[in-house]
Amino acid sequence: MIPPTLIDAITYSSLLGIMTFGLSFVRRTTGVWNIAHAGLVTIGAYVIFTCTSFFGGNPYIYLPLAFIFSAVIAVLEYMLIIETLRKRGASTTIMLISTLAFDLVMLSIINIYADYLQNTFSLPSKNFLLRKLDFMFLNMPGIFWTSLLLLITFLTALYYVLNYTKIGTALRACVSNPTLASISGINVMHTNLFSWLISGGLAGVAGGLLPLWIQGKPVLGDSLIAVMFCVSIVGGVEEIYGTVLGGFLVGFTQILGTSALSMVFGPSVILYKSLIPMVILALALLYAPYGIAKINWRKILTIIKFGGEPKRKI
Amino acid sequence: MNLQLGYAGIPNFGLVLAVTGGAYTVGWLPVRLCMWIFNIDSQLGADILKNNAIIVSQINSHIQAQPLIGLAVFILTLIVAVAIGGVLGFISAYPAIRLRSDYLAITLLALGEILSIIGQSYDPLVGGVIGVLVPDTWSWLGGNRFTVISLVLVIAALGILFILELIARSPISRTFRAMRDNEVAAMAMGKDITKYRMEALVIGSMICSLGGALYAFYVCYVGPAAYGRLEWTFLPWLMVILGGMGNNFGVMLGTFIFIALQKLIVFYKHAFAFLPFDVVWLEYLLLGSIMIAILIFRPSGLIKEKPSQTIPKTKLEEIVGESSKKYS
Repeated sequence: MIPPTLIDAITYSSLLGIMTFGLSFVRRTTGVWNIAHAGLVTIGAYVIFTCTSFFGGNPYIYLPLAFIFSAVIAVLEYMLIIETLRKRGASTTIMLISTLAFDLVMLSIINIYADYLQNTFSLPSKNFLLRKLDFMFLNMPGIFWTSLLLLITFLTALYYVLNYTKIGTALRACVSNPTLASISGINVMHTNLFSWLISGGLAGVAGGLLPLWIQGKPVLGDSLIAVMFCVSIVGGVEEIYGTVLGGFLVGFTQILGTSALSMVFGPSVILYKSLIPMVILALALLYAPYGIAKINWRKILTIIKFGGEPKRKI
Repeated sequence: MNLQLGYAGIPNFGLVLAVTGGAYTVGWLPVRLCMWIFNIDSQLGADILKNNAIIVSQINSHIQAQPLIGLAVFILTLIVAVAIGGVLGFISAYPAIRLRSDYLAITLLALGEILSIIGQSYDPLVGGVIGVLVPDTWSWLGGNRFTVISLVLVIAALGILFILELIARSPISRTFRAMRDNEVAAMAMGKDITKYRMEALVIGSMICSLGGALYAFYVCYVGPAAYGRLEWTFLPWLMVILGGMGNNFGVMLGTFIFIALQKLIVFYKHAFAFLPFDVVWLEYLLLGSIMIAILIFRPSGLIKEKPSQTIPKTKLEEIVGESSKKYS
């Protein structure tokens, strides 16, 4: 029997991994930190909420729709704003600010939509939880199985695409050297579009799963964006799979760490749960600024084994 | 923020940390200070949060009779708030100061949440999610309170503008701009980039903290919910981008336009009563769209940054005139 806190930790870590992967992926491929990723997550949540409220049924069957909606919006964001700014020679900071502005626009539209649902259809669109629609399997909630399986499936699919397909090779070429990739005949814009599509879709899927675990609200994505950035930086943006490592480190520390601390210092510690990712971020920046995926473990093991780096003979 | 972003090229998404620091200083210090000065009933002081309304009411009555003490508490709290803002700026920037600008921006965004989380969770600070009332150090003005404190805020804003204009015309500003435009060249000229970045962040945080403290005194209330990332980081970004980065008067213009638009929407809210949603969201939709349009079509903002002049224009024309006579 798996303890409930471990189930929570694995579920949260898997969701963080799926959510944040898109953020890191876009950063790695196009060099842009997409603050509007928060809005894409929230859109996924509202797609699931709308579908279950009007059509009923299992929320999981609407996940492809959440993927499509968020992916389309991400692609529009890239084509209308990011690519336009890139052609005008804007810096990465300006593009970052533009994603902030787009997030404001999305936040407004989401709130307008939530107000409309509430006022017109009397739906609890400002605060909803779909946990009662979840299924149980082997005494564990469906969100546990789904989030973990989706993460594993996605990682496997990504590994295959990146290493055994033409689009994956093109993507890797664009990440390494976009100019050289362009000269070689790769359409860099199409490749970037693909990465934004995947990123947006993953955000939508993660957002669609979130209301099965925590309260859904118009600021759902925005309330998690700081944690997503923590996970991305801690995991290491330069390593694609580092984000998943970062997600598990942050997720486990937040859930299990809080649980352990509450046994020592009392339940009031739970109120400071949200501080944990920030502390991990500060420590990571001081001791592993390129992320945990880039840590030279061999060197650390050598230092531990020999009490220091072995001196080289000249 | 213009000092950090416009002059030094440091995109700081963690402004809310310094603003919250200033506000929390106002939420914590004046009540305790006034309780000690006016010798408020110690039984009430045993639970400051529970008796907050009664204590503040008594303090306000004392301030009405002794306005100079009210002013002294106001000034002292502002000084402490500015100092705390500087410390917060240093602490938040230290782990991330060597990062590239967009990395730094994102890290500061994440670290900016820290004080907000502590404020919501640790009740003795500012009463947790409920918040606390703040003594009205201007209550002695009676009916003129609103007018006078608005004037005080305008004078404070003009004072900060004056200080920033002095900084803008100083060598440190030229170093900031050199750092912003080409870090490698600035380092080659012997400038310690890390040190100047830290200076920009600390000075900027001090000014932000002052803003947070003044706002808390204005509304006489401090609560974590009133100091969110949207209102105190993202919207100031919009004002700076709209007005023009690296230009203090541009920022003032951007702020004025933003607030005017905001107030117009609220004022004419009744005209949109037929809409099935809260009209306040149209404000963010409009402003976000304006920001995108400005970034695409006029990234320099409404007022462009002027190149810095090390010597007055008339002197420069004299020198050019003399050298052209010499070589003709």
